[in-house]
Amino acid sequence: MTRIHDVGGMHGFDPIDRHEDHEPFHNEWEARVFALNRLLLRAGVYNLDEFRHAIERMDPAEYLESSYYEKWFAGIERLLGEKGVL
Amino acid sequence: MQRFHVGDAVRARVMNPAGHTRLPAYLRGKPGTVESVHGLFPLADERARGVEDASRQALYTVAFRAEEVWGADAGEAFAIHADLWDGYLEPEISR
Repeated sequence: MTRIHDVGGMHGFDPIDRHEDHEPFHNEWEARVFALNRLLLRAGVYNLDEFRHAIERMDPAEYLESSYYEKWFAGIERLLGEKGVL
Repeated sequence: MQRFHVGDAVRARVMNPAGHTRLPAYLRGKPGTVESVHGLFPLADERARGVEDASRQALYTVAFRAEEVWGADAGEAFAIHADLWDGYLEPEISR
């Protein structure tokens, strides 16, 4: 079984945008999501592979419509629910 | 456990785990060559299930020729390098 993240070799997406983007974040909330994930990993609430697994379990349509840090946020939200933190 | 060494011919296993894996679908069943050995690392497939003492397996960089992966449509000769755990691989029997 493969999931929506595993699109290597699939046609139909736009060409990869190779221009260098020097801004790590484009909205303030993205930096907060980044920091939140680092803290939760450091605190041992979940590990990096659980985080990847959580993102890969997103609804396929939602996954494709989400930006990079929206995916991170969805993964964090799911894990905090599953771990009983929220 | 390290079954393979630099230069060994291997083949990525055909597998369809329901959970997380670091073996991308497009490499499953494809032949490649071990380029380097990185030592033992805890298996991501197990860690993704929250297993704290995940089994440690040898991790290799394996090179796959583009035409083995994409066929003639690869267009040009290049290699895809993937970091893969021992359990993702089987020895390639020359035929």
